[in-house]
Amino acid sequence: MIPEIGHIILISHLVLSFIGGTLPLVAVYTKSKYFYIPVKKLSVFLFMLILMSFMILVYSFLVDDFSVAYVSQNSNINLPTYYKFAATWGAHEGSLLLWILAMNAWLIGFIFFNNSKDEDYTSTVFSIACQVMFAFSLFTLFTSNPFERILPIPPLNGADLNPSLQDIAFTVHPPLLYFGYSGLLIPFAIAVAAMLFRKDIKEWAGNSRPWTLMSCSFLTMGIALGSWWAYYELGWGGWWFWDPVENAAFVPWLLSVALFHSLIASESRGVFAKWSILLSIFAFATSLLGTFLVRSGILTSVHAFALDPERGLFILGILAFFIIGSLLIYSIKDLENQPTHSYELSSKEFGFLLNNLLLVILAVSILFGTIFPLIYEAITDGKQISVGAPYFEIILFPFALALGLLQGVGLYLSWGSSSSFKFLPRLIIESISIFALVLIILFILFDNLYLTSFATIFLFSWILMGTLQISKKRNLNYWSFLRKRAAVTFAHLGMAILTLGVAVVSSYSLEKEIIMAPDDSIEFGNQTILFKNTEEIMGPNYFSKSATISFSDGSNSYDVLTEKRTYIPSGQLTTEAGIKTELFQDLYISMGDNLEANIWSFKVQIKPFIRWIWLGALLVAIGSLLAGIKRVRRV
Amino acid sequence: MNPIRKQRLYALIAILIGSLLATWLVVSALSENMNLFYSPTEIKEANINQDTLIRAGGMVKKGSIYKSKDSLNVSFTVTDYQNELIINYEGILPDLFAENAGVVVRGNLTPDGTFRAIEVLAKHDENYMPPEVAKLLDSSE
Repeated sequence: MIPEIGHIILISHLVLSFIGGTLPLVAVYTKSKYFYIPVKKLSVFLFMLILMSFMILVYSFLVDDFSVAYVSQNSNINLPTYYKFAATWGAHEGSLLLWILAMNAWLIGFIFFNNSKDEDYTSTVFSIACQVMFAFSLFTLFTSNPFERILPIPPLNGADLNPSLQDIAFTVHPPLLYFGYSGLLIPFAIAVAAMLFRKDIKEWAGNSRPWTLMSCSFLTMGIALGSWWAYYELGWGGWWFWDPVENAAFVPWLLSVALFHSLIASESRGVFAKWSILLSIFAFATSLLGTFLVRSGILTSVHAFALDPERGLFILGILAFFIIGSLLIYSIKDLENQPTHSYELSSKEFGFLLNNLLLVILAVSILFGTIFPLIYEAITDGKQISVGAPYFEIILFPFALALGLLQGVGLYLSWGSSSSFKFLPRLIIESISIFALVLIILFILFDNLYLTSFATIFLFSWILMGTLQISKKRNLNYWSFLRKRAAVTFAHLGMAILTLGVAVVSSYSLEKEIIMAPDDSIEFGNQTILFKNTEEIMGPNYFSKSATISFSDGSNSYDVLTEKRTYIPSGQLTTEAGIKTELFQDLYISMGDNLEANIWSFKVQIKPFIRWIWLGALLVAIGSLLAGIKRVRRV
Repeated sequence: MNPIRKQRLYALIAILIGSLLATWLVVSALSENMNLFYSPTEIKEANINQDTLIRAGGMVKKGSIYKSKDSLNVSFTVTDYQNELIINYEGILPDLFAENAGVVVRGNLTPDGTFRAIEVLAKHDENYMPPEVAKLLDSSE
């Protein structure tokens, strides 16, 4: 009975979001009080509905209601309770519900914290957001209903949650990512409403900025957590694979970064109006496109959602409707775009223009590489190809270099007229000193210097000093620094730290596949690796063969445990890596095959500075979240 | 030139340079990093250069996995139910590698007609079938 209630509530959400997506627009255009509905109350009511529906699905998981098909496919009696809860978004249907919930949460945020006096404009934003939610609810109900039952004879036990997803990071990663994706709905709805009402650029850009920043923050956290999870859970120590599903998150991230930078210029100087509108549309579009690519299963990806062309077509339809619709409005509405200020080549405006140009071209190139296999298949009549990781690395490098160089000087530029470049000699000298210092530290730590990492390490020093100097120059006291400069300083420092992490880990990593029996030891890098013993472990829903390995650098030794787990319901095998984390490096070992008796193969790795990548990403996320919240409160 | 037109000109030049550079990068990077996918039948029929990195795949034939006892060498046969291809690999296989499961490998052909894999692709779901292999099986049925 309870799942049916969830189903009915979801249907009411569908109906109400249809009403929310149409009536306010009718009211605005007919100027008739007759169609008026209170959007504030409706947004809360919609949120309560989707929340209840979601909670009912959670409940079905917690009480092991295997008559619900989705529960039976993704849970099991023996699954630990926490993972039963998290299994709710472990596959496609529940993810969609969470996605709608996230969109609704953002919408409430916008409706309640938006200070625009223009009620017509606000209810238009609301209406457009409701249309998108309606499309998602429709999609959920028709192609991916999470409440579908297996009747009359429900299975006694479920098939289990995919073992690699039974992990803390995994349980947090999808919600963050969905909040990031769905947050881009708000800038999109604002952009469409701004076109319809020919809003002043400074006003709507100011409305849009906090939501763009916060979505970007959630996307950053979601992507970083996904990368961390892949690093230790997939068992092979990589942190980025250029998998289509990663690119599907990376592209909207790039566009959201471009968008909030462009919005700074739009809000402060009234420039880039059309550009900001188009970016808002395409940032949202790529977040939908990512869903389409991942859910339709047309691309080879590590993310195994059910392959269902019908779902793919449905999402493509939603995408086409909103993108064509908004572009149509864009082409019809005459958006007066006379810049109120002109700017020089060395101005902040031009800096933002270059920043946007680089980010957007990079995003397009990555998107192109991601969908090229589809294009190729279509034009060659079924020939299949894949685009390897080197493609993306070749593309990324020059753009990252240019963006980083720009980032170092960007904060010094001033609006409008020519900026003074007096800071430049000092910045160059300081960056070179930091660069030299980093090289010395690396040499002391790892006894080696790699030419390939020099450019990226210099980039780190350049962004670092470019960010720190300007913050120091403002001569702010502690409190006003926190209030005025903390957000941008954190975010830019985060990028510097991330850059350093990437630079070092991609040049200094060591890896080796080895064969050992208990009591064997082997020299690797500056470590001695000792295979101590194996042990059988019984977990709540798995049994495992584990190996205790000791890493020793001569003075200290440290034991880690690596496991080969077999999950009981499915019989699926997973590898749990043994990782010892230090500030400057991770020692990483994962168990391979049992060759004979007690002889095992292992893959052992040293990953210097890998933590810095996620630490940097975390700082970027904190910075953009702070910037977003600050602007919500200001308006 | 008035300032507005001047700044449009700047923007235009920047966009032009950026896009040209990107197009050149994309084309050159793509031509070097595009791996075609072949089924065992296609490999038999086509004349594939041994230096070219390609991807191959199919189902792992039952009873065809041979693991060395003192090294990481492993060999197995993939089949599309019409033809077969022997794959040699040195390294640790992914957890989800198994008999009668779909697999995609990346590497090149050797003079004796076998395939030397440098990568065996891991998928993290046992029900998952690489689209290439799924399509292959559809067409051979």
